[in-house]
Amino acid sequence: MDKNRKTNFFVIILMNLIVYPMIFVWTGIIILVSPFLMLVIIISPFWRLDRFIRLFVWIYGRGWMAILSPFVRFKREGFTKTYPRPPCIMVINHQSFFDTYCMALFPFSDVTFAIRSWPFKLFWYAPFMRMARYLDVETLGWQATSEIGGKMLARQSSLLFFPEGHRSRDGNLGRFYSGAFKVAVDTGAKVVPVCISGTGDLLPPGRWWLAPTVIKLKALPPIDPNNFSGPMAHSQMRKHVKKKIAECLEEFQNC
Amino acid sequence: MNDKEIIELVNTALAEEFELEIEDMKPEASLLDNLGLDSLDRVDMVIVLENQFNFKVREEETIRQIRTLGDIHDFVITKKHEIGSE
Repeated sequence: MDKNRKTNFFVIILMNLIVYPMIFVWTGIIILVSPFLMLVIIISPFWRLDRFIRLFVWIYGRGWMAILSPFVRFKREGFTKTYPRPPCIMVINHQSFFDTYCMALFPFSDVTFAIRSWPFKLFWYAPFMRMARYLDVETLGWQATSEIGGKMLARQSSLLFFPEGHRSRDGNLGRFYSGAFKVAVDTGAKVVPVCISGTGDLLPPGRWWLAPTVIKLKALPPIDPNNFSGPMAHSQMRKHVKKKIAECLEEFQNC
Repeated sequence: MNDKEIIELVNTALAEEFELEIEDMKPEASLLDNLGLDSLDRVDMVIVLENQFNFKVREEETIRQIRTLGDIHDFVITKKHEIGSE
Protein backbone atom coordinates (compact mmCIF):
# COMPACT_ATOMS: atom_id res chain seq x y z
CA MET A 1 0.00 0.00 0.00
CA ASP A 2 1.57 3.35 -0.99
CA LYS A 3 1.86 6.28 1.40
CA ASN A 4 -1.13 8.24 -0.02
CA ARG A 5 -3.48 5.29 0.21
CA LYS A 6 -2.32 4.61 3.77
CA THR A 7 -3.00 8.26 4.70
CA ASN A 8 -6.45 8.21 3.05
CA PHE A 9 -7.34 4.98 4.82
CA PHE A 10 -6.26 6.47 8.16
CA VAL A 11 -8.30 9.68 7.53
CA ILE A 12 -11.42 7.67 6.63
CA ILE A 13 -11.11 5.55 9.80
CA LEU A 14 -10.55 8.68 11.92
CA MET A 15 -13.48 10.48 10.24
CA ASN A 16 -15.91 7.65 10.94
CA LEU A 17 -14.70 7.17 14.51
CA ILE A 18 -15.20 10.87 15.24
CA VAL A 19 -18.22 11.85 13.13
CA TYR A 20 -20.68 9.04 13.92
CA PRO A 21 -20.48 9.33 17.74
CA MET A 22 -20.66 13.13 17.53
CA ILE A 23 -23.75 12.98 15.27
CA PHE A 24 -25.33 10.53 17.70
CA VAL A 25 -24.65 12.89 20.63
CA TRP A 26 -25.80 15.96 18.63
CA THR A 27 -29.07 14.22 17.68
CA GLY A 28 -29.59 13.20 21.33
CA ILE A 29 -29.03 16.77 22.53
CA ILE A 30 -31.51 18.14 19.98
CA ILE A 31 -34.16 15.55 20.92
CA LEU A 32 -33.70 16.22 24.66
CA VAL A 33 -33.72 20.01 24.37
CA SER A 34 -36.59 20.26 21.91
CA PRO A 35 -39.56 19.67 24.30
CA PHE A 36 -38.52 22.58 26.52
CA LEU A 37 -38.01 24.92 23.58
CA MET A 38 -41.31 23.82 22.03
CA LEU A 39 -43.11 24.60 25.28
CA VAL A 40 -41.68 28.13 25.21
CA ILE A 41 -42.69 28.52 21.55
CA ILE A 42 -46.23 27.25 22.15
CA ILE A 43 -46.64 29.86 24.92
CA SER A 44 -45.00 32.60 22.83
CA PRO A 45 -47.39 34.79 20.81
CA PHE A 46 -44.63 35.67 18.32
CA TRP A 47 -43.73 32.29 16.85
CA ARG A 48 -45.66 29.53 15.12
CA LEU A 49 -44.59 26.02 16.14
CA ASP A 50 -44.17 24.69 12.58
CA ARG A 51 -41.94 27.61 11.60
CA PHE A 52 -39.88 27.19 14.74
CA ILE A 53 -39.39 23.46 14.06
CA ARG A 54 -38.18 24.28 10.53
CA LEU A 55 -35.63 26.66 12.07
CA PHE A 56 -34.69 23.93 14.55
CA VAL A 57 -34.13 21.46 11.66
CA TRP A 58 -31.95 24.04 9.91
CA ILE A 59 -29.86 24.48 13.07
CA TYR A 60 -29.63 20.69 13.39
CA GLY A 61 -28.31 20.53 9.80
CA ARG A 62 -25.78 23.25 10.65
CA GLY A 63 -24.61 21.02 13.51
CA TRP A 64 -24.07 18.10 11.12
CA MET A 65 -22.07 20.35 8.84
CA ALA A 66 -19.92 21.62 11.72
CA ILE A 67 -19.21 18.05 12.82
CA LEU A 68 -18.19 17.08 9.28
CA SER A 69 -16.24 20.26 8.55
CA PRO A 70 -12.76 18.92 9.53
CA PHE A 71 -13.16 16.33 6.77
CA VAL A 72 -15.54 17.94 4.27
CA ARG A 73 -15.25 21.28 2.47
CA PHE A 74 -18.52 23.07 1.77
CA LYS A 75 -18.74 25.45 -1.20
CA ARG A 76 -21.81 27.55 -1.91
CA GLU A 77 -22.48 29.44 -5.15
CA GLY A 78 -25.33 31.59 -6.36
CA PHE A 79 -26.72 32.24 -2.87
CA THR A 80 -26.81 35.80 -1.58
CA LYS A 81 -28.59 37.57 1.24
CA THR A 82 -31.41 38.35 -1.19
CA TYR A 83 -31.38 35.25 -3.42
CA PRO A 84 -33.17 32.91 -3.49
CA ARG A 85 -35.96 35.15 -2.29
CA PRO A 86 -38.53 33.21 -0.23
CA PRO A 87 -41.15 31.98 -0.73
CA CYS A 88 -40.10 29.93 -3.73
CA ILE A 89 -40.02 26.31 -4.83
CA MET A 90 -36.55 24.82 -4.75
CA VAL A 91 -35.81 21.68 -6.71
CA ILE A 92 -32.55 19.84 -6.18
CA ASN A 93 -30.87 16.72 -7.53
CA HIS A 94 -30.47 13.86 -5.05
CA GLN A 95 -27.28 11.85 -4.48
CA SER A 96 -27.19 10.98 -0.81
CA PHE A 97 -29.05 10.78 2.49
CA PHE A 98 -26.82 13.69 3.51
CA ASP A 99 -28.39 16.04 0.89
CA THR A 100 -31.19 16.90 3.30
CA TYR A 101 -28.72 18.14 5.94
CA CYS A 102 -26.93 20.28 3.33
CA MET A 103 -30.10 22.35 3.09
CA ALA A 104 -28.65 24.12 6.14
CA LEU A 105 -26.43 25.87 3.56
CA PHE A 106 -29.49 27.85 2.46
CA PRO A 107 -29.44 31.44 3.69
CA PHE A 108 -32.94 31.00 5.19
CA SER A 109 -34.43 28.34 7.41
CA ASP A 110 -38.13 28.43 6.61
CA VAL A 111 -38.18 25.54 4.15
CA THR A 112 -40.93 22.91 3.97
CA PHE A 113 -39.64 19.62 2.59
CA ALA A 114 -41.92 17.77 0.16
CA ILE A 115 -40.67 14.19 0.29
CA ARG A 116 -41.67 10.56 -0.05
CA SER A 117 -43.19 8.46 2.74
CA TRP A 118 -40.19 6.51 4.03
CA PRO A 119 -38.46 9.32 5.99
CA PHE A 120 -41.71 9.73 7.96
CA LYS A 121 -41.09 6.19 9.27
CA LEU A 122 -37.83 7.19 11.03
CA PHE A 123 -39.28 7.35 14.55
CA TRP A 124 -36.68 9.80 15.90
CA TYR A 125 -37.32 12.30 13.07
CA ALA A 126 -41.01 11.71 12.27
CA PRO A 127 -42.52 13.83 15.11
CA PHE A 128 -40.38 16.81 14.07
CA MET A 129 -41.29 16.34 10.41
CA ARG A 130 -44.99 16.25 11.25
CA MET A 131 -44.72 19.32 13.47
CA ALA A 132 -42.76 21.13 10.74
CA ARG A 133 -45.65 20.31 8.37
CA TYR A 134 -43.39 18.58 5.89
CA LEU A 135 -45.36 17.18 2.97
CA ASP A 136 -45.58 13.41 2.53
CA VAL A 137 -46.23 13.55 -1.21
CA GLU A 138 -46.80 9.81 -1.61
CA THR A 139 -49.54 9.68 0.99
CA LEU A 140 -51.10 13.05 0.14
CA GLY A 141 -51.19 12.67 -3.65
CA TRP A 142 -50.47 15.57 -5.97
CA GLN A 143 -53.79 17.38 -5.62
CA ALA A 144 -53.44 17.71 -1.84
CA THR A 145 -49.69 18.40 -2.10
CA SER A 146 -50.41 21.28 -4.44
CA GLU A 147 -53.14 22.69 -2.17
CA ILE A 148 -51.15 22.42 1.07
CA GLY A 149 -47.97 23.55 -0.72
CA GLY A 150 -49.85 26.65 -1.89
CA LYS A 151 -50.88 27.38 1.71
CA MET A 152 -47.28 27.01 2.93
CA LEU A 153 -46.06 29.39 0.21
CA ALA A 154 -48.75 31.87 1.24
CA ARG A 155 -47.32 31.65 4.78
CA GLN A 156 -43.90 32.64 3.34
CA SER A 157 -42.40 29.16 3.69
CA SER A 158 -40.44 27.93 0.67
CA LEU A 159 -40.98 24.39 -0.60
CA LEU A 160 -38.20 21.95 -1.37
CA PHE A 161 -38.53 18.97 -3.71
CA PHE A 162 -36.17 16.25 -4.84
CA PRO A 163 -37.73 15.74 -8.29
CA GLU A 164 -35.88 12.45 -8.83
CA GLY A 165 -37.89 11.02 -5.91
CA HIS A 166 -34.95 8.96 -4.64
CA ARG A 167 -31.17 9.02 -4.46
CA SER A 168 -29.25 8.39 -7.64
CA ARG A 169 -27.81 4.86 -7.61
CA ASP A 170 -25.13 5.50 -10.22
CA GLY A 171 -24.32 9.17 -9.67
CA ASN A 172 -26.18 10.21 -12.83
CA LEU A 173 -29.20 12.47 -12.86
CA GLY A 174 -32.34 10.30 -12.77
CA ARG A 175 -35.81 10.71 -14.13
CA PHE A 176 -37.60 13.86 -12.90
CA TYR A 177 -41.17 13.63 -11.61
CA SER A 178 -43.57 16.47 -12.39
CA GLY A 179 -45.03 17.18 -8.95
CA ALA A 180 -42.86 20.16 -8.00
CA PHE A 181 -43.55 21.81 -11.34
CA LYS A 182 -47.28 21.16 -11.10
CA VAL A 183 -47.27 22.97 -7.74
CA ALA A 184 -45.32 25.84 -9.37
CA VAL A 185 -47.80 26.12 -12.25
CA ASP A 186 -50.79 25.87 -9.88
CA THR A 187 -49.47 28.48 -7.44
CA GLY A 188 -47.46 30.75 -9.77
CA ALA A 189 -44.41 30.42 -7.47
CA LYS A 190 -41.01 30.62 -9.12
CA VAL A 191 -38.80 27.55 -9.18
CA VAL A 192 -35.18 27.85 -8.09
CA PRO A 193 -33.10 24.94 -9.43
CA VAL A 194 -30.38 23.93 -7.00
CA CYS A 195 -27.47 21.72 -7.96
CA ILE A 196 -25.56 19.62 -5.42
CA SER A 197 -22.44 17.52 -5.90
CA GLY A 198 -20.05 15.68 -3.61
CA THR A 199 -22.57 14.13 -1.23
CA GLY A 200 -22.51 10.99 -3.39
CA ASP A 201 -18.83 10.62 -2.47
CA LEU A 202 -19.45 11.37 1.19
CA LEU A 203 -22.23 8.83 1.72
CA PRO A 204 -23.68 7.17 -1.40
CA PRO A 205 -26.70 4.83 -1.25
CA GLY A 206 -25.67 1.34 -0.11
CA ARG A 207 -22.57 2.41 1.84
CA TRP A 208 -22.50 3.15 5.58
CA TRP A 209 -19.03 4.63 6.01
CA LEU A 210 -18.24 8.26 5.33
CA ALA A 211 -15.40 9.54 3.13
CA PRO A 212 -13.84 13.02 2.92
CA THR A 213 -15.03 15.13 -0.01
CA VAL A 214 -15.88 18.61 -1.28
CA ILE A 215 -19.61 19.42 -1.34
CA LYS A 216 -20.79 22.08 -3.78
CA LEU A 217 -24.24 23.65 -3.70
CA LYS A 218 -25.26 26.09 -6.41
CA ALA A 219 -28.50 28.06 -6.79
CA LEU A 220 -29.38 28.69 -10.44
CA PRO A 221 -31.48 31.62 -11.72
CA PRO A 222 -35.22 31.35 -11.03
CA ILE A 223 -37.64 29.86 -13.55
CA ASP A 224 -41.03 31.53 -13.87
CA PRO A 225 -43.97 29.13 -14.43
CA ASN A 226 -45.70 31.85 -16.44
CA ASN A 227 -43.18 31.18 -19.22
CA PHE A 228 -44.86 27.82 -19.85
CA SER A 229 -48.40 27.32 -21.06
CA GLY A 230 -50.98 24.68 -21.92
CA PRO A 231 -52.13 21.54 -20.09
CA MET A 232 -48.54 20.20 -20.09
CA ALA A 233 -46.90 23.41 -18.83
CA HIS A 234 -45.54 21.57 -15.79
CA SER A 235 -44.00 18.92 -18.06
CA GLN A 236 -42.28 21.57 -20.22
CA MET A 237 -41.02 23.24 -17.06
CA ARG A 238 -39.76 19.91 -15.68
CA LYS A 239 -37.72 19.27 -18.83
CA HIS A 240 -36.31 22.81 -18.83
CA VAL A 241 -35.25 22.66 -15.16
CA LYS A 242 -33.71 19.21 -15.58
CA LYS A 243 -31.63 20.53 -18.49
CA LYS A 244 -30.37 23.41 -16.34
CA ILE A 245 -29.41 21.10 -13.45
CA ALA A 246 -27.73 18.65 -15.84
CA GLU A 247 -25.67 21.51 -17.33
CA CYS A 248 -24.66 22.63 -13.85
CA LEU A 249 -23.58 19.11 -12.84
CA GLU A 250 -21.53 18.84 -16.01
CA GLU A 251 -19.92 22.18 -15.18
CA PHE A 252 -19.06 20.86 -11.67
CA GLN A 253 -17.49 17.74 -13.18
CA ASN A 254 -15.36 19.76 -15.57
CA CYS A 255 -14.10 22.09 -12.82
CA MET B 1 -52.10 1.97 -38.63
CA ASN B 2 -51.97 -1.64 -37.42
CA ASP B 3 -51.88 -2.84 -33.82
CA LYS B 4 -48.09 -3.30 -33.80
CA GLU B 5 -47.55 0.26 -34.99
CA ILE B 6 -49.95 1.56 -32.35
CA ILE B 7 -48.05 -0.31 -29.62
CA GLU B 8 -44.73 1.07 -30.85
CA LEU B 9 -46.11 4.59 -30.98
CA VAL B 10 -47.56 4.32 -27.46
CA ASN B 11 -44.24 3.05 -26.12
CA THR B 12 -42.23 5.74 -27.87
CA ALA B 13 -44.54 8.56 -26.76
CA LEU B 14 -44.57 7.42 -23.11
CA ALA B 15 -40.81 6.72 -23.05
CA GLU B 16 -40.11 10.20 -24.37
CA GLU B 17 -42.46 11.98 -22.00
CA PHE B 18 -41.58 10.07 -18.84
CA GLU B 19 -37.89 9.38 -19.53
CA LEU B 20 -38.41 5.61 -19.58
CA GLU B 21 -36.12 3.00 -21.11
CA ILE B 22 -37.71 1.38 -24.18
CA GLU B 23 -36.41 -2.06 -23.10
CA ASP B 24 -38.40 -1.77 -19.83
CA MET B 25 -41.62 -1.22 -21.74
CA LYS B 26 -43.06 -4.70 -21.71
CA PRO B 27 -46.84 -5.28 -21.84
CA GLU B 28 -46.81 -6.89 -18.37
CA ALA B 29 -44.92 -3.92 -16.82
CA SER B 30 -46.90 -2.37 -13.97
CA LEU B 31 -47.27 1.39 -14.41
CA LEU B 32 -46.59 2.06 -10.74
CA ASP B 33 -44.19 -0.67 -9.64
CA ASN B 34 -42.13 -1.24 -12.77
CA LEU B 35 -42.35 2.04 -14.67
CA GLY B 36 -42.71 4.31 -11.63
CA LEU B 37 -45.60 6.33 -13.03
CA ASP B 38 -47.39 8.16 -10.22
CA SER B 39 -50.91 9.60 -10.12
CA LEU B 40 -49.86 12.85 -11.80
CA ASP B 41 -48.06 10.92 -14.53
CA ARG B 42 -51.33 9.07 -15.23
CA VAL B 43 -53.08 12.38 -15.86
CA ASP B 44 -50.21 13.46 -18.13
CA MET B 45 -50.29 10.07 -19.84
CA VAL B 46 -53.87 10.70 -20.97
CA ILE B 47 -52.87 14.06 -22.47
CA VAL B 48 -49.87 12.49 -24.21
CA LEU B 49 -52.05 9.76 -25.72
CA GLU B 50 -54.76 12.25 -26.75
CA ASN B 51 -52.17 14.40 -28.54
CA GLN B 52 -50.42 11.45 -30.10
CA PHE B 53 -53.53 9.70 -31.44
CA ASN B 54 -55.91 12.63 -31.90
CA PHE B 55 -58.74 11.35 -29.73
CA LYS B 56 -60.38 12.51 -26.52
CA VAL B 57 -60.44 10.24 -23.50
CA ARG B 58 -63.74 10.36 -21.65
CA GLU B 59 -63.69 6.84 -20.20
CA GLU B 60 -62.32 7.93 -16.82
CA GLU B 61 -63.38 4.69 -15.11
CA THR B 62 -61.53 2.61 -17.74
CA ILE B 63 -58.42 4.78 -17.30
CA ARG B 64 -58.56 4.32 -13.52
CA GLN B 65 -58.57 0.55 -13.99
CA ILE B 66 -55.44 0.56 -16.12
CA ARG B 67 -52.61 -1.18 -14.26
CA THR B 68 -50.10 -2.30 -16.88
CA LEU B 69 -48.60 -1.05 -20.09
CA GLY B 70 -50.49 -3.83 -21.88
CA ASP B 71 -53.76 -2.32 -20.56
CA ILE B 72 -52.78 0.98 -22.21
CA HIS B 73 -52.00 -0.79 -25.48
CA ASP B 74 -55.42 -2.52 -25.38
CA PHE B 75 -57.17 0.74 -24.52
CA VAL B 76 -55.58 2.70 -27.37
CA ILE B 77 -56.08 -0.11 -29.90
CA THR B 78 -59.77 -0.39 -28.96
CA LYS B 79 -60.16 3.38 -29.12
CA LYS B 80 -58.51 3.59 -32.54
CA HIS B 81 -60.74 0.78 -33.86
CA GLU B 82 -63.83 2.56 -32.50
CA ILE B 83 -62.83 5.77 -34.25
CA GLY B 84 -62.05 3.86 -37.46
CA SER B 85 -65.48 2.22 -37.51
CA GLU B 86 -67.39 5.50 -36.95
